[in-house]
Amino acid sequence: MHENIEKLQIKFREAIENTGDLSQLENIRIQYLGKKGEITLLMRSMNQVPVDQRPIFGKRVNELKKLAEEMLEHKKSQLHSVHSEKRWEKERLDVTLPGRPFEIGKKHPLTMVLEEIEEIFTCMGFKIAEGPDVELDYYNFEALNMPKEHPARDMQDSFYINPEILLRTHTSPVQIRTMQAQAPELPVRIIAPGKAYRRDDDVTHSPMFHQVEGLVVDKGISLADLKGTLLLFAQEMFGKEREIRLRPSFFPFTEPSAEVDISCIICDGKGCRICGETGWLEILGSGMVHPKVLEISGYNPEEVTGYAFGMGVERIAMLKYGIDDIRLFYINDLRMLRNVK
Amino acid sequence: MKVPFNWLREYVEIPYSPEELAERLTMSGIEVGAVNRFAPLDDNIVAAKIENVSLHPGSEKLQIVEVNAGSRLLKIVCGAWNIKKGDLVPFALPGAVLPGGQEIQAAEVKGILSPGMLCSAGELGLDLVQNEDGILVIDEVCKPGTRLTDILFINEPVLELELTPNRSDCLGLLGVAYEVAAHTGGRIILPSFEVEEKGRDIHELTEVSILEPDLCYRYTARVMEGFRIAPSPLNMQLRLLSAGVRSIYNLVDVTNYVMWETGFPMHAFDYDKLEKGKIRVRRAQPGEKIVTLDGLSRNLDSEILVIADDRVPVGLAGVMGGEYTEITGETTRLLLEAACFNPMNIRMTARRMNLPSEASQRYEKGVDPEGAVFAQNRAVHLIQQTAGGEICRGMIDNYPKPYLVPRITLRSKKVDEVLGFSVGEGEIEGILDRLHLKVQPVSDIATSSSCCREKSQGAVYSIEVPSFRGDIKEEIDLIEEIARIKGFDNIPVTLPVGVITAGRPSEERRVMDRAKDILVSCGLQEIITLSFMSPRFLDELNLPSEDLRRSAIKLQNPLSEEQSVLRTTLIPGALQVMQYNFNRQTEHQLLFEIGKVFLPDGENEKLPLEKVMACLALSGSTPQNDWQKPSSPIDYYYLKGILETLLNSLGIDNYRWIPEQLPLLHPVRGAKLIVDGKEAGFLGAIHPALQEKLQFRQDVYLAELDLRVFFGSASLLPSFMPLPRFPSVFRDVAFTVSEEVSAGDIMQDIRECGGPLLEDIKLFDVYKGKQIPEGSLSLAFALTFRHSERTLKDEEIDKIQDAMETILHQKYKAVLRKL
Repeated sequence: MHENIEKLQIKFREAIENTGDLSQLENIRIQYLGKKGEITLLMRSMNQVPVDQRPIFGKRVNELKKLAEEMLEHKKSQLHSVHSEKRWEKERLDVTLPGRPFEIGKKHPLTMVLEEIEEIFTCMGFKIAEGPDVELDYYNFEALNMPKEHPARDMQDSFYINPEILLRTHTSPVQIRTMQAQAPELPVRIIAPGKAYRRDDDVTHSPMFHQVEGLVVDKGISLADLKGTLLLFAQEMFGKEREIRLRPSFFPFTEPSAEVDISCIICDGKGCRICGETGWLEILGSGMVHPKVLEISGYNPEEVTGYAFGMGVERIAMLKYGIDDIRLFYINDLRMLRNVK
Repeated sequence: MKVPFNWLREYVEIPYSPEELAERLTMSGIEVGAVNRFAPLDDNIVAAKIENVSLHPGSEKLQIVEVNAGSRLLKIVCGAWNIKKGDLVPFALPGAVLPGGQEIQAAEVKGILSPGMLCSAGELGLDLVQNEDGILVIDEVCKPGTRLTDILFINEPVLELELTPNRSDCLGLLGVAYEVAAHTGGRIILPSFEVEEKGRDIHELTEVSILEPDLCYRYTARVMEGFRIAPSPLNMQLRLLSAGVRSIYNLVDVTNYVMWETGFPMHAFDYDKLEKGKIRVRRAQPGEKIVTLDGLSRNLDSEILVIADDRVPVGLAGVMGGEYTEITGETTRLLLEAACFNPMNIRMTARRMNLPSEASQRYEKGVDPEGAVFAQNRAVHLIQQTAGGEICRGMIDNYPKPYLVPRITLRSKKVDEVLGFSVGEGEIEGILDRLHLKVQPVSDIATSSSCCREKSQGAVYSIEVPSFRGDIKEEIDLIEEIARIKGFDNIPVTLPVGVITAGRPSEERRVMDRAKDILVSCGLQEIITLSFMSPRFLDELNLPSEDLRRSAIKLQNPLSEEQSVLRTTLIPGALQVMQYNFNRQTEHQLLFEIGKVFLPDGENEKLPLEKVMACLALSGSTPQNDWQKPSSPIDYYYLKGILETLLNSLGIDNYRWIPEQLPLLHPVRGAKLIVDGKEAGFLGAIHPALQEKLQFRQDVYLAELDLRVFFGSASLLPSFMPLPRFPSVFRDVAFTVSEEVSAGDIMQDIRECGGPLLEDIKLFDVYKGKQIPEGSLSLAFALTFRHSERTLKDEEIDKIQDAMETILHQKYKAVLRKL
């Protein structure tokens, strides 16, 4: 009896080992473990075994059945995975082929720089104010302490529509418009981004350009506050390690007035071609709002003070992107626009 | 303004190098654009005295010159003939290198050894008008052998000031010297003069009348006679050369020299050419003419202030003299003018005559009226020194409204308030004193009267401003002076303190920003074009004559015809960009611009209407560079899809497209956009004729939208639709209709029939061909029905569908197709 069990086990093992596909394996299962399978029949032949040998016989056959089931299951999973792999192999992709192109546009580099400037100041509580591009001489010059024939008007060669109307030469008229609309309410805290126009056309001047004007009027605003605000701006815009330098200058509508330089973003202040070996880059003009400007705008200069600044967006964009001809911004060459980041 | 460094040192001690001075001046508001340094003249070029001149035995063209070069006597061969015994001349010793790079060596010239060379001005690198061909003869006195640079003002460093318009005081070296003294506390050394008057009294010779005291504040005159017109002394020429002023002859050079020194412009008239010797400062009469020094005849009118004699104008006041009264070789008497004019009038004249001169530039910005007499005396002194002659007795000084020394009150508290820190009274007084401002304390109420009051009132001063600082008029000007001399670097850094304000952009701005974001995510590239356009483009666009966009606002002084009017539409700019890029092989272009257009507002005196518009311009094919899918050309529906995406994303749902023939657009491929019943723009294919004119080989699709209408209808408010609780019913229906029927109308009617139960309608197929009669097409729609409170029954939908069929048949003869 025992030899029979041994033989059956060897035969079964051989059958399993020799099979290569799942349907054959199923046939083997039926052949050995089916209702009329050899192992099943062996179990049923218990009654022909002498009584004293039955427990051992029973144990051996059960062990065989269990082993057979395990081997079947093992073989089945083995065959299964081989089968899947073959099928999947047919689904192979060249994963290095390019992905499907999605076309996304870009904002103009000047818009990107403008938005960054706006974000920095709006987060500090500055409201965005706007004014017309075509402006009255009154707002563009007179109210800014530049009466007719004032020599400072030479600094800004203007496009005129008629003797009283011109294209604004800076965004500063928005200062007057904002204050006159708001006076005597405090505080005034605005930036005025927008276009301005001057009769210039060369690599650093475009007849149309963008400025961002800033204005704060309140009780106790000082030159030190202006310095602090601009340092904060410079560090947000150009990096935490930036320093600023204020040089006294002259604008008719601010006093004291200052030109503001940042430590060169190319050489970190060591001196290079971009900063003309000075280590500094001029980025904006600023100053304390002139008492006459406060007065004409409805504020009492004895009670309030203010600061104002104005920066050229193109200048900043040229520094940021390393562009050396301002006119490139207005040619809109798509090969350039699509590549700026 | 060029400031020769050593010339400046004549008026004030400078304990800095030129570069250090430049840095200090720049950081205190007098910007120095550059410090120009020149290579120093070789030390081996010395002054030599000519002891003897004889002929060269071997050549008729050469001389033998014996010179005393200090330590020894040398024989030099020389080809110039302008020298004589006793002259002092520049002598280059062997080993000396001339500015041109030539090294001097002892050489044999026609058998005679010549150990060195006598130099001309040109060989020394000096651009002087005289002695052009000959040896430079030095008119200074010195020991032979002295280095030339120790005697002559050669190649000194020059500071180039870039002055702001308020600092006209620094248009004279003395003004700059005062500025230096403000840093160093140094003493100012005023140039000296001696005036010895002789002969006739000036009042017998001339008479000055100012007829326009508002335009001429002061007029001083002196008369001289018996002078000799000749080149100026070498050092005066060299000084003027370093300041960038051309040397002419002594009389003119002196007026320029004094102007550089004091900032005060002067003018010399040939006295004998003045009718009756008289000077009348008056407005020109209409029709009067003058030939100015530059030889041009100029027409005058009553706006222009002139210097006239008893008969005619002899000069444009403060701008340029007249040719007739110019000093010439025959002049024997001169009348010297030092006057002060109204800056605005001078500026206007200089601009109208296109004559910016050194004089007018100073007058425009303000000349110190108190400086006139000093300038007169210094000038006649220098004329006498350089040209000899006699100074007639007396000076005419017509000064209708004498200068009043302004007194300005300055509060130390205000200084601290504006600058943001406490400067300190001692420091304030020190700075003002160094600026030559007279400081007098006024009663200090807080500190003297009551010990109970806060001491915060601070000191109060009364400040006297010297006449040369005409730019200081009020307290804030003094505060600026204190700040800039103190140094902006010494101002602390603080941040404003105050109530919080809302910085968030306005709703309109956010709609605009959102619109940009949507267009960018639809693949469009933003462009920015100039606000100008060419009027020629309006013709090319073929706009009808009554179109408002034709009445573009003209610039009075455009840079070019191409940029001579303000844009009334964004289309020309976009088309120009397209053309530019097409010409550079960029065929695929999806562009948009958001910007203002300008339309006249009826009246000339009023500002134009500025409208924010968006313009889209598309051409090319899509998808780009997809290896899986072939690309198809961008078409009308591609553009329309983008616009619908834009409208939907901005929360605008009440809009319609109306087919219409519009300018610029293809006659049957264009539509108007209506939002909330208002015209909001248009879209379509470019007009074929325009396309041809622009030589575009590809189709181009354009849209222009009035964003003001969008601002009114857009909604950025968040909204939420509850999830449906009951199932929907889907139905696909197709109708056969004539090609002439608009799909938009059919969809509108289906929507109306469907009523509130019709949740959604999608057109999913447009079909022409088999089973569809010629001239018709089939439109297939996917309809979604839903009731919010119960499940719909098929019969309800059937009823609605029947009603649709009936109406569409009645209106459009549409036939339902069985699918």
